[in-house]
Amino acid sequence: MISQFEADVDFQGRCAVVHLSGEIDSNAEDSLVDALGKAIESNPDRFLLDFRQVQYINSKGIALIVGLLARYPEIRGRIAAYGLTEHYQEIFKITRLMDYIFVLRDWEAALDFINH
Amino acid sequence: MTENEQAVRTFSLPSVAGNERLAAKKIEELLRPLGLSLRLLERIKTAVAETAMNAIEHGNRYHEDLPVTIETEITPGSLYIRIADYGGQKDTPMAEEPDIDAKLAGIQSPRGWGLFLIHRMADDVRFTTDKERHTVELTFFLVREGDSDFSI
Repeated sequence: MISQFEADVDFQGRCAVVHLSGEIDSNAEDSLVDALGKAIESNPDRFLLDFRQVQYINSKGIALIVGLLARYPEIRGRIAAYGLTEHYQEIFKITRLMDYIFVLRDWEAALDFINH
Repeated sequence: MTENEQAVRTFSLPSVAGNERLAAKKIEELLRPLGLSLRLLERIKTAVAETAMNAIEHGNRYHEDLPVTIETEITPGSLYIRIADYGGQKDTPMAEEPDIDAKLAGIQSPRGWGLFLIHRMADDVRFTTDKERHTVELTFFLVREGDSDFSI
Protein backbone atom coordinates (compact mmCIF):
# COMPACT_ATOMS: atom_id res chain seq x y z
CA MET A 1 0.00 0.00 0.00
CA ILE A 2 2.04 2.96 -1.29
CA SER A 3 0.93 6.40 -0.19
CA GLN A 4 0.53 9.28 -2.60
CA PHE A 5 1.68 12.79 -1.87
CA GLU A 6 2.13 15.97 -3.91
CA ALA A 7 3.35 19.45 -3.04
CA ASP A 8 3.12 22.52 -5.28
CA VAL A 9 4.13 26.11 -4.61
CA ASP A 10 2.58 29.35 -5.72
CA PHE A 11 3.25 32.87 -4.58
CA GLN A 12 0.67 35.34 -3.37
CA GLY A 13 2.42 38.66 -2.85
CA ARG A 14 5.30 38.07 -0.43
CA CYS A 15 3.85 34.76 0.79
CA ALA A 16 4.79 31.34 -0.60
CA VAL A 17 1.79 29.04 -0.45
CA VAL A 18 2.73 25.35 -0.43
CA HIS A 19 -0.28 23.26 -1.43
CA LEU A 20 -0.07 19.74 0.03
CA SER A 21 -2.22 16.82 -1.03
CA GLY A 22 -2.38 13.15 -0.10
CA GLU A 23 -0.69 11.41 2.81
CA ILE A 24 2.24 12.81 4.77
CA ASP A 25 4.50 9.96 5.80
CA SER A 26 8.12 9.08 5.04
CA ASN A 27 7.29 8.80 1.31
CA ALA A 28 6.42 12.50 1.24
CA GLU A 29 9.95 13.63 2.05
CA ASP A 30 11.36 14.27 -1.44
CA SER A 31 8.32 16.21 -2.67
CA LEU A 32 8.02 18.26 0.49
CA VAL A 33 11.73 19.12 0.65
CA ASP A 34 11.70 20.07 -3.05
CA ALA A 35 8.63 22.28 -2.69
CA LEU A 36 9.81 24.05 0.43
CA GLY A 37 13.32 24.45 -0.98
CA LYS A 38 11.84 26.03 -4.10
CA ALA A 39 9.77 28.38 -1.94
CA ILE A 40 12.79 29.39 0.16
CA GLU A 41 14.88 30.13 -2.95
CA SER A 42 12.41 32.89 -3.82
CA ASN A 43 13.01 34.52 -0.45
CA PRO A 44 9.39 35.26 0.51
CA ASP A 45 8.47 36.96 3.78
CA ARG A 46 6.10 34.19 4.86
CA PHE A 47 5.24 30.55 4.14
CA LEU A 48 1.75 29.07 4.26
CA LEU A 49 1.30 25.28 4.27
CA ASP A 50 -2.12 24.44 2.85
CA PHE A 51 -3.29 21.13 4.38
CA ARG A 52 -6.84 21.15 3.00
CA GLN A 53 -6.18 18.18 0.71
CA VAL A 54 -4.18 16.15 3.25
CA GLN A 55 -6.03 13.08 4.48
CA TYR A 56 -3.43 11.46 6.73
CA ILE A 57 -0.33 12.41 8.71
CA ASN A 58 1.52 9.77 10.71
CA SER A 59 4.42 9.93 13.16
CA LYS A 60 6.92 9.78 10.30
CA GLY A 61 5.14 12.72 8.70
CA ILE A 62 5.42 14.63 11.97
CA ALA A 63 9.13 13.77 12.02
CA LEU A 64 9.43 15.01 8.45
CA ILE A 65 7.89 18.38 9.34
CA VAL A 66 10.14 18.66 12.42
CA GLY A 67 13.10 17.79 10.21
CA LEU A 68 12.19 20.61 7.82
CA LEU A 69 12.04 23.09 10.70
CA ALA A 70 15.47 21.86 11.81
CA ARG A 71 16.90 22.03 8.29
CA TYR A 72 15.51 25.49 7.52
CA PRO A 73 15.61 27.46 10.79
CA GLU A 74 14.97 30.67 8.86
CA ILE A 75 11.32 29.69 8.33
CA ARG A 76 10.50 29.37 12.04
CA GLY A 77 8.14 32.10 13.14
CA ARG A 78 7.30 32.89 9.50
CA ILE A 79 5.37 29.73 8.66
CA ALA A 80 1.71 28.89 9.17
CA ALA A 81 -0.60 25.94 8.51
CA TYR A 82 -4.11 26.21 7.13
CA GLY A 83 -6.72 23.51 6.56
CA LEU A 84 -5.68 21.06 9.27
CA THR A 85 -8.58 18.99 10.58
CA GLU A 86 -9.39 19.36 14.28
CA HIS A 87 -7.66 16.03 14.92
CA TYR A 88 -4.41 17.15 13.32
CA GLN A 89 -4.67 20.54 15.03
CA GLU A 90 -4.71 18.54 18.27
CA ILE A 91 -1.64 16.59 17.15
CA PHE A 92 0.18 19.83 16.28
CA LYS A 93 -0.68 21.01 19.79
CA ILE A 94 0.47 17.95 21.73
CA THR A 95 3.68 17.60 19.71
CA ARG A 96 4.26 21.36 20.18
CA LEU A 97 4.65 21.87 16.44
CA MET A 98 2.21 24.69 17.13
CA ASP A 99 5.01 26.53 18.95
CA TYR A 100 6.84 26.87 15.64
CA ILE A 101 4.06 26.81 13.04
CA PHE A 102 1.07 29.14 13.43
CA VAL A 103 -2.12 27.12 13.05
CA LEU A 104 -4.77 29.14 11.24
CA ARG A 105 -8.32 27.96 11.82
CA ASP A 106 -10.15 29.57 8.90
CA TRP A 107 -9.62 31.12 5.48
CA GLU A 108 -10.01 34.64 6.85
CA ALA A 109 -7.03 34.05 9.13
CA ALA A 110 -5.11 32.55 6.21
CA LEU A 111 -5.82 35.66 4.10
CA ASP A 112 -4.67 37.90 6.93
CA PHE A 113 -1.44 35.88 7.13
CA ILE A 114 -0.89 36.02 3.35
CA ASN A 115 -1.53 39.76 3.18
CA HIS A 116 0.13 40.73 6.44
CA MET B 1 -25.38 -4.89 21.93
CA THR B 2 -27.08 -4.92 25.33
CA GLU B 3 -25.42 -3.61 28.46
CA ASN B 4 -23.99 -6.94 29.59
CA GLU B 5 -22.88 -8.20 26.21
CA GLN B 6 -19.36 -8.04 24.86
CA ALA B 7 -18.31 -8.26 21.25
CA VAL B 8 -14.92 -9.61 20.24
CA ARG B 9 -13.71 -9.53 16.66
CA THR B 10 -10.33 -10.44 15.21
CA PHE B 11 -8.66 -9.81 11.88
CA SER B 12 -5.12 -9.95 10.60
CA LEU B 13 -2.98 -8.19 8.01
CA PRO B 14 0.25 -9.10 6.22
CA SER B 15 3.31 -7.16 7.36
CA VAL B 16 3.53 -4.85 4.38
CA ALA B 17 4.59 -1.20 4.65
CA GLY B 18 1.53 1.01 4.60
CA ASN B 19 -0.89 -1.64 5.86
CA GLU B 20 -1.29 0.36 9.07
CA ARG B 21 -3.73 2.55 7.13
CA LEU B 22 -5.71 -0.55 6.21
CA ALA B 23 -5.80 -1.48 9.91
CA ALA B 24 -7.20 1.95 10.79
CA LYS B 25 -9.78 1.71 8.00
CA LYS B 26 -10.97 -1.71 9.15
CA ILE B 27 -11.24 -0.49 12.74
CA GLU B 28 -13.30 2.47 11.54
CA GLU B 29 -15.68 0.11 9.73
CA LEU B 30 -15.97 -2.14 12.79
CA LEU B 31 -16.74 0.78 15.10
CA ARG B 32 -19.15 2.63 12.81
CA PRO B 33 -22.27 1.08 14.43
CA LEU B 34 -21.23 2.48 17.83
CA GLY B 35 -21.80 6.09 16.75
CA LEU B 36 -18.62 7.37 18.39
CA SER B 37 -17.73 11.04 18.19
CA LEU B 38 -15.47 11.96 15.27
CA ARG B 39 -12.88 13.17 17.75
CA LEU B 40 -12.67 9.84 19.57
CA LEU B 41 -12.77 7.86 16.33
CA GLU B 42 -9.82 9.84 14.94
CA ARG B 43 -7.84 9.24 18.13
CA ILE B 44 -8.54 5.51 17.91
CA LYS B 45 -7.50 5.40 14.24
CA THR B 46 -4.23 7.21 14.91
CA ALA B 47 -3.34 4.95 17.86
CA VAL B 48 -4.19 1.83 15.86
CA ALA B 49 -2.23 2.96 12.80
CA GLU B 50 0.86 3.86 14.83
CA THR B 51 0.74 0.58 16.80
CA ALA B 52 0.21 -1.47 13.65
CA MET B 53 3.08 0.36 11.94
CA ASN B 54 5.40 -0.55 14.84
CA ALA B 55 4.21 -4.16 14.67
CA ILE B 56 4.85 -4.37 10.92
CA GLU B 57 8.22 -2.59 11.07
CA HIS B 58 9.80 -3.55 14.39
CA GLY B 59 7.87 -6.68 15.42
CA ASN B 60 7.58 -8.56 12.14
CA ARG B 61 10.33 -6.68 10.28
CA TYR B 62 8.23 -6.49 7.12
CA HIS B 63 8.06 -10.29 6.73
CA GLU B 64 4.85 -10.52 4.71
CA ASP B 65 4.18 -14.07 5.87
CA LEU B 66 4.07 -12.94 9.51
CA PRO B 67 0.64 -11.44 10.16
CA VAL B 68 -0.22 -8.62 12.50
CA THR B 69 -3.31 -9.71 14.43
CA ILE B 70 -5.81 -7.15 15.65
CA GLU B 71 -8.50 -8.05 18.18
CA THR B 72 -11.20 -5.66 19.26
CA GLU B 73 -13.26 -6.19 22.38
CA ILE B 74 -16.16 -3.85 22.95
CA THR B 75 -17.74 -3.64 26.38
CA PRO B 76 -20.48 -1.19 27.41
CA GLY B 77 -17.95 1.33 28.76
CA SER B 78 -14.67 0.58 27.04
CA LEU B 79 -13.03 -0.51 23.84
CA TYR B 80 -9.96 -2.71 23.98
CA ILE B 81 -7.80 -3.18 20.89
CA ARG B 82 -4.99 -5.74 21.05
CA ILE B 83 -2.39 -5.63 18.30
CA ALA B 84 0.02 -8.58 18.21
CA ASP B 85 3.15 -9.31 16.21
CA TYR B 86 5.89 -11.95 16.33
CA GLY B 87 8.46 -9.84 18.14
CA GLY B 88 7.88 -11.49 21.51
CA GLN B 89 11.51 -12.37 22.07
CA LYS B 90 12.41 -8.70 22.38
CA ASP B 91 11.64 -6.34 25.25
CA THR B 92 9.58 -3.27 24.48
CA PRO B 93 12.14 -0.47 24.04
CA MET B 94 11.91 2.48 26.40
CA ALA B 95 11.28 5.41 24.12
CA GLU B 96 12.81 8.79 24.89
CA GLU B 97 10.12 11.41 25.48
CA PRO B 98 10.18 13.53 22.32
CA ASP B 99 11.05 17.17 22.90
CA ILE B 100 10.64 19.39 19.85
CA ASP B 101 13.10 21.97 21.19
CA ALA B 102 15.77 19.28 21.55
CA LYS B 103 14.95 17.97 18.09
CA LEU B 104 15.29 21.39 16.50
CA ALA B 105 18.56 21.92 18.37
CA GLY B 106 19.90 18.64 16.96
CA ILE B 107 20.05 17.01 20.41
CA GLN B 108 17.31 14.48 19.53
CA SER B 109 16.51 12.85 16.21
CA PRO B 110 13.48 14.37 14.44
CA ARG B 111 11.89 10.89 14.67
CA GLY B 112 10.48 9.11 17.70
CA TRP B 113 6.85 10.33 17.77
CA GLY B 114 5.05 6.99 17.35
CA LEU B 115 4.87 5.73 20.94
CA PHE B 116 4.25 9.28 22.15
CA LEU B 117 1.19 9.57 19.91
CA ILE B 118 -0.08 6.12 20.95
CA HIS B 119 0.11 7.07 24.64
CA ARG B 120 -1.55 10.44 24.02
CA MET B 121 -4.39 9.04 21.90
CA ALA B 122 -5.35 6.06 24.07
CA ASP B 123 -6.66 6.13 27.64
CA ASP B 124 -4.37 3.25 28.62
CA VAL B 125 -1.59 1.33 26.87
CA ARG B 126 -0.20 -2.01 28.05
CA PHE B 127 2.54 -4.19 26.60
CA THR B 128 2.83 -7.95 27.05
CA THR B 129 5.29 -10.42 25.58
CA ASP B 130 5.79 -14.15 25.61
CA LYS B 131 8.50 -16.11 23.82
CA GLU B 132 6.75 -15.61 20.49
CA ARG B 133 4.25 -12.75 20.46
CA HIS B 134 4.38 -9.11 21.45
CA THR B 135 1.00 -7.56 22.15
CA VAL B 136 -0.02 -3.96 22.71
CA GLU B 137 -3.40 -3.45 24.35
CA LEU B 138 -5.00 -0.05 23.75
CA THR B 139 -7.92 0.99 25.96
CA PHE B 140 -10.40 3.72 25.06
CA PHE B 141 -13.28 4.89 27.20
CA LEU B 142 -16.30 5.01 24.94
CA VAL B 143 -18.24 8.20 24.45
CA ARG B 144 -21.21 8.33 22.12
CA GLU B 145 -22.16 11.17 19.79
CA GLY B 146 -23.79 13.96 21.79
CA ASP B 147 -22.05 13.18 25.07
CA SER B 148 -20.76 16.43 26.46
CA ASP B 149 -18.70 15.38 29.47
CA PHE B 150 -15.64 14.36 27.53
CA SER B 151 -12.55 16.47 27.33
CA ILE B 152 -8.86 15.83 26.76
